[in-house]
Amino acid sequence: MVMLRRKTWRDIKENFGVYLACIMVIALGLLLYTSMSIAVESMDKAQQDFYAETNFADGFITVTGYPENKVNSLTFLPGIDQAAGRIVKEVRVIDQQKDSNRYLKMVTLNEANASQINQIQLIDGQLPKENQPEILVDPKFLAANHLSLGDSIDLSIDGNQVSLYITGTAQSPEFIYIMRNAQDLYPSAEEFGIAYISLSTLKALVKEKGQVNDIVFTLEDGVSFDSVKDNLQAELKPYGFRSIVPRKDQTSNSILTSEIKQIRTMTKTLPVVFLGVAAIILYTMLRRLIEQQRVSIGTLKAFGFTDREIVLHYLTYPVVIGTTGGLLGGLSGVALSFPLTAMYKEFFALPGLKSEFSLKYLFISIALAFVFSVLSGVKGSLDILRLEPAEAMRPPAPGTARKTLIEKFTWFWKTLSSQAQMGIRDVFRTPTRSLFNVIGIAVVYSLMTVSWSMQNMTDLLTVVQLEQVQTYDVKLQLTDPSPTGAVKFAVAHELGVSKVEPVLEVPASLRNGWLKKDVALMGLSDESTLYNILDKNGRRLEVSDHGVLISEHLAKSLNVKAGDVIYVESPLRRETLSQKGENLLVTGVVPQYVGLNAFMKDTELQRFLRQGEISTAMLIQMDSAEIGSMKSKYQNASNVSSIESLKDTGAKIQKMMESFGFTVWLLAILGGFCGFALIYNASIISLSERKRELASLRVLGMTPREVLRVITSEQWTLYAFGILLGIPMAYGLSMSMAQSMSNDMYSLPADLPPMALLGAAAGTAFSVLVAQSRAYYKIKSLPYVEILATRD
Amino acid sequence: MEVLMEGKDLRKHYRTGEVEIEVLKGISFQIFYGEFIVILGQSGSGKTTLLNIIGGMTQPSMGELYYKEQPLHKIDDQELTLYRRNEVGFVFQNYNLMPNLTAYENIRLAVEIAQNPLSVSDILREVGLENWSDHFPSQLSGGQQQRVAIARAIVKNPEILLCDEPTGALDIQTGVQVLKVLQKLNREYHKTVIIITHNVEIAKMANRVFYLKDGLLDDVRVIERPLCPEEISW
Repeated sequence: MVMLRRKTWRDIKENFGVYLACIMVIALGLLLYTSMSIAVESMDKAQQDFYAETNFADGFITVTGYPENKVNSLTFLPGIDQAAGRIVKEVRVIDQQKDSNRYLKMVTLNEANASQINQIQLIDGQLPKENQPEILVDPKFLAANHLSLGDSIDLSIDGNQVSLYITGTAQSPEFIYIMRNAQDLYPSAEEFGIAYISLSTLKALVKEKGQVNDIVFTLEDGVSFDSVKDNLQAELKPYGFRSIVPRKDQTSNSILTSEIKQIRTMTKTLPVVFLGVAAIILYTMLRRLIEQQRVSIGTLKAFGFTDREIVLHYLTYPVVIGTTGGLLGGLSGVALSFPLTAMYKEFFALPGLKSEFSLKYLFISIALAFVFSVLSGVKGSLDILRLEPAEAMRPPAPGTARKTLIEKFTWFWKTLSSQAQMGIRDVFRTPTRSLFNVIGIAVVYSLMTVSWSMQNMTDLLTVVQLEQVQTYDVKLQLTDPSPTGAVKFAVAHELGVSKVEPVLEVPASLRNGWLKKDVALMGLSDESTLYNILDKNGRRLEVSDHGVLISEHLAKSLNVKAGDVIYVESPLRRETLSQKGENLLVTGVVPQYVGLNAFMKDTELQRFLRQGEISTAMLIQMDSAEIGSMKSKYQNASNVSSIESLKDTGAKIQKMMESFGFTVWLLAILGGFCGFALIYNASIISLSERKRELASLRVLGMTPREVLRVITSEQWTLYAFGILLGIPMAYGLSMSMAQSMSNDMYSLPADLPPMALLGAAAGTAFSVLVAQSRAYYKIKSLPYVEILATRD
Repeated sequence: MEVLMEGKDLRKHYRTGEVEIEVLKGISFQIFYGEFIVILGQSGSGKTTLLNIIGGMTQPSMGELYYKEQPLHKIDDQELTLYRRNEVGFVFQNYNLMPNLTAYENIRLAVEIAQNPLSVSDILREVGLENWSDHFPSQLSGGQQQRVAIARAIVKNPEILLCDEPTGALDIQTGVQVLKVLQKLNREYHKTVIIITHNVEIAKMANRVFYLKDGLLDDVRVIERPLCPEEISW
């Protein structure tokens, strides 16, 4: 059917602008799908491969001190395959020139005769020798601090200054995403890194002689972590057992896996939105084309073209558009996957992470576009089947001549101009087409609203957290739980200190039936003002004397509400035979945007732990001029693990939020483009249908601007309905996005502030205006005399 | 003379919007091979509907229609399509050319589905448009467009050529040119040609004239000596 194909190409050329807009919408959707799919597949593969190559541990234990020579005996416990002990020590980098907080986590390397769990991959240089002052560091720390192989670095280890030489860089599966602790939120390569050192070298520098404080283990095939946990805890309890964490909750693995999961979700949802908008455009375009070419269809039928041949001819339009968009989107997505993967490599130090040209995703991209396009064209094309040739060549019966709903409001209707009445009437007389356009506008509006609101979400995370929740100036973190009175007394007498509040933070397991979550249980002092718990309306809540307050995310994970009872255990609790943990009442559920905590009164938590009056940190309110000297004094203290000002915390949170900014703008721009494509298509269809009417108005003496009102009134009506439908859609989308992007580190609120709704309405209106400017140009150049002279 | 087509008590009603109309109220006729027939009638007499039924463009609501002794009124849509493809050529008042195909391409469109087509170049020459083959419809006059439409209809080599007011949109000079082509197709190519018109003068070209009035066949007259198109004027 060569001639029919030629007709197709020429028809497409005549309406090239609309078809091009549709191709771009499809291409955008598939660009996102392809690039993210390739990136996530690469990440997943690199993760699995690296874990397998390095024998990544199934479980991670911290203890105060466990005899080195007993570590191997842990493999005799049922279910344990291999076990390896290490010394893990966080040490401060001594920096004479800068007043900065830089820390290294020292991790001893596996001995040659020990189980090779969590093996490191040497990237550059060579392994440090036994008993030599040599270390490996992670490559990001090396680069961020402008260090080179062979440089020495001064560290404060157990109160002593030590110089160690950097012999190389390495990567461990345990530290693909390097964070100092779960509250850190964002990696800071300059301030925190990992160092690998031989066991004999570190043993000589620390007080832990003949002992390890960190154990990693692997499980036998088919054995679950929960089945070995109790035995391990029981075995290690006498040695100051602190925590035991399965692989899935190990910080780096958890963040990496969560990121992969999030990207996968986005690859499934975002392209559907774009393809849906494109399908709406194609559907309305094809229906219009078939209506316009009714006589041609009748002629083809009269000549003996079969229905199948004619339907296939008209299906060619969406197929050509879809395949072109799919190919463009697929190819550009493959190209984009390279920089996208490189961006992920900045965050995740995954060896072997690289993008590759993927035929698979290119084909899927084209196939997806093909399927969506054909489906959008099927309905319109099948309408052809209903037409007899003779009927097709008769002009269609005039539409129904009943009053539309809006005309019943006569007082309002009379205020409208004739052009506006013409435009609005048409919205209600073509209900199916109008409905599709309204849905399309609603989708675009909700996309834009959510992108605006993400800005608000990030403000909540930063502003609320730093100005209302954490109101201290400095947090002094102790190495071990210490008697509250003594530490508080010492700190309170420092220069510039106006208030000190002790805080007790301990690892705990919260359980409701089979649902379990490991969190940091936080005990706050009576009437604490340096760490505030806020309710939904931002009002300060007092922690009750008994029971526990939990965050919304935690409540959801455990499926509990206020008034429920949860079972709480902590490795720091002094247990009795009968009572390992305790049932505690959930006294309330509160929003928490940063971190995953449960809150108790410090006295209540101390009672639970049965360790007396202890604290793990001091929150300090002090004169900002004295913070520097406070830091200098306590940085080297052996019982202080870190001292951080709120300014430092704020900078980290800010950095994390900046990464959201790109997503916000991208969504807004893509949403705007979809809106433009939809409205542009609707205006072109309107124009072509109304050529005679508009030409008549021009002959009557109306200016192009006055004539444009027929089109604009229709579009603003569709816009208004689209916004109305879009508001609940935006709430739904915001909730599902907040849910999918929230994790144990931060929770995004699903708020839609009025500014987001208004801003998105303005953005959508802008798309409408741009489309209308094109319509104005077409009306201005309308050959009205010629139109009125030719018969339909 | 051998009967090509026979209609028995043909009736047709259809719905336009909310109105039901009975257009043909019982028409019976015979059409012979190689005839030149003109169907005359005023607007609303049912002549276009009758032509559409003859051409397989629509089915009668009641009655019987036989083509080469085969019952057209009983066949399904697929077979009707084949009938139109292989046996019928249609010429419309408003030409109905594909606007974005050239004259040559419009004719070629019909060739692609024909079982036994004629040569496109030969047909273009027959209708006097061999120098206009690369022109789009918008670049042709009304008469030229109608001749392209005739060429498109005839290139399929159909048995029967149906023309719905072929000169309706043309001036007399151009109309005569078109009628000359149609007469040539009838006399030299032995095609059965049926024209519907409200123009009484054109009836003088026919072998027989069917007079339609209010959906009924009012009269059938034989023209002993059909005129040439140059001999008629309106």
